[in-house]
Amino acid sequence: MDKYFKRWFGILVLPAVLLFVLVIALPFFTGIVYSFTSWRGTYFAGGTLFQSFVGFDNYIKAFTTGTFTRSLWYTVAYTVVAVIAINLVALAFALMLGSIHRGVGMYRTVFFMPNMLGGLAMGYVWQFIFQVVYTDLIFSPDGLLHLEFMRYMTQDPVKALFALVIMTTWQSAGYMMLIYIGGLNSIPSDLYEAAAIDGAGPVRRFFKVTLPLLMSSITVVLFLTLANSFKLLDQNLALTNGDFDTRMLALQILRTTRDTQPPNYGVAQAQAVIFFLIVAAISLIQVYVTRSREVEF
Amino acid sequence: MARQDASMKPGTGKAGQIILYIVLTVLLLYTLTPLLFLLLNSFKSQAEIVRNPLALPDEWTFQYLINAFASIHFPQAIGYTLLITIISVLLIVLVASPCGWIITRHKSGGSTFIYLMFVAAMLIPFQAVMYPLMNIMDALHLKNIPGLIIMYAGFGLSMSIFLYSGFFKSVPRGIEEAALIDGANIFQMFFRVVFPLVKSTTVTVMILNGMWIWNDYLLPFLTLGLSDQRTLVLELYYAKMTSGQFGSPWEIIFPSVLITVIPMIIIFLCLQKYFVKGVSEGAIKA
Repeated sequence: MDKYFKRWFGILVLPAVLLFVLVIALPFFTGIVYSFTSWRGTYFAGGTLFQSFVGFDNYIKAFTTGTFTRSLWYTVAYTVVAVIAINLVALAFALMLGSIHRGVGMYRTVFFMPNMLGGLAMGYVWQFIFQVVYTDLIFSPDGLLHLEFMRYMTQDPVKALFALVIMTTWQSAGYMMLIYIGGLNSIPSDLYEAAAIDGAGPVRRFFKVTLPLLMSSITVVLFLTLANSFKLLDQNLALTNGDFDTRMLALQILRTTRDTQPPNYGVAQAQAVIFFLIVAAISLIQVYVTRSREVEF
Repeated sequence: MARQDASMKPGTGKAGQIILYIVLTVLLLYTLTPLLFLLLNSFKSQAEIVRNPLALPDEWTFQYLINAFASIHFPQAIGYTLLITIISVLLIVLVASPCGWIITRHKSGGSTFIYLMFVAAMLIPFQAVMYPLMNIMDALHLKNIPGLIIMYAGFGLSMSIFLYSGFFKSVPRGIEEAALIDGANIFQMFFRVVFPLVKSTTVTVMILNGMWIWNDYLLPFLTLGLSDQRTLVLELYYAKMTSGQFGSPWEIIFPSVLITVIPMIIIFLCLQKYFVKGVSEGAIKA
């Protein structure tokens, strides 16, 4: 049998490997090389690829031009707030749905639904909500509650960051809730019974039983939201289009080629390589943490 | 099941239950508000939307939906979107499932390397490859719909192979030996005997990839941006962008968004149990 599989191995693997090389491996390694050249998209400034080699210039430029570092910190700030908000809301959803008897399916479906809908499409709807409904109706001086912070949210970097968090929490808390529900379901009920017999109250049971046994789900959700937040593009584009200093990294890399004339693809590519290093580091830390933190029972 | 055992959970007295239902219902309404709001404003004129966004429309006219239908070229756009999504997803399943299977069956340095290669590729964000990729696709005359499908297939592979090989590990090998004795060739063995056993993984792979491809903006923008073969999301983007300098034309945007998201809502409501299962499985393994 082993021999038989060995004989067919190459043929069955070949299509996947070819696609992989064409779409990922080749552009990835080309991109690393190009990030060290004065690449202009369709040609190399200074002649051939070899002649346009500029060392670390593009990387230095990326860090000294300002827009890149600003978008890096903006992305970090957004990520911190979004990860906390999405995790807390998702966990609260899951715990509440775990405590009711009827209608769980309906609530779960509705909470999950926004995740199905495109970030760009719903981003436009939210843009209108922030620009008109929040600004002129709900939070205006003659509205329900006068809150200046909730008005004109798409026209200020700090407010826009929270506008983004409001929208992405609405979109992805339901998705993360499903993972938490899965985690809660896998906790054996006799542990709760044992804790109750030992006299542990609801709060104590939550911190001593639920939370430690939910650690693996928490890790999954934490890093999923971390990676998603870091790579956010559609919502950023739809809500503010990166105006008012609200560019996040993905949009920054996309727009760098429009910032200068002729477009500087070399610098954009250098930013993309830095972006890759950060995203890869987050994922590798995740793998490491997941392996070392899981509680067995 | 643990969570059915409500007596052990906090907040489950009678008063607690009532409070929970009130809180959950408020959250449910909050979650639905943007969608209701989208629905209401798809039947209003620009002036009415801006003047009175929360009210019911003065009259329920389909005029704005019809306008949107024309301005985002809905029939073509949904045709392209369906074509791209369906063929890409089928291609991913067709390429990833045999690959995921054989690398769990034939253990060697080569198979380990290929497995690790695909796993490692999950670390690469799209932005890291997009510019050189567009160059390559341009050189191959593939900045078109077939090229887009090839790229989606390539990007969807990593996670799909990862999910498949995870599942194939739990399928006993005896089945294949029996098929071999019955005289099946490798393709018959795979597609008639092995593939049907991993239906649930196939559904997960199809849903996770389909969701992403349907809603994707960036790849169609880079590939098809200037052509007239545009996906729904791309049409929506241009509808919003081109008239941006006069303020957003909400009477076009709202109905356009509505007809863009409705197919997805219908698919989701019909297949929701698969979605819920697919998402939880995908997340736990990935």
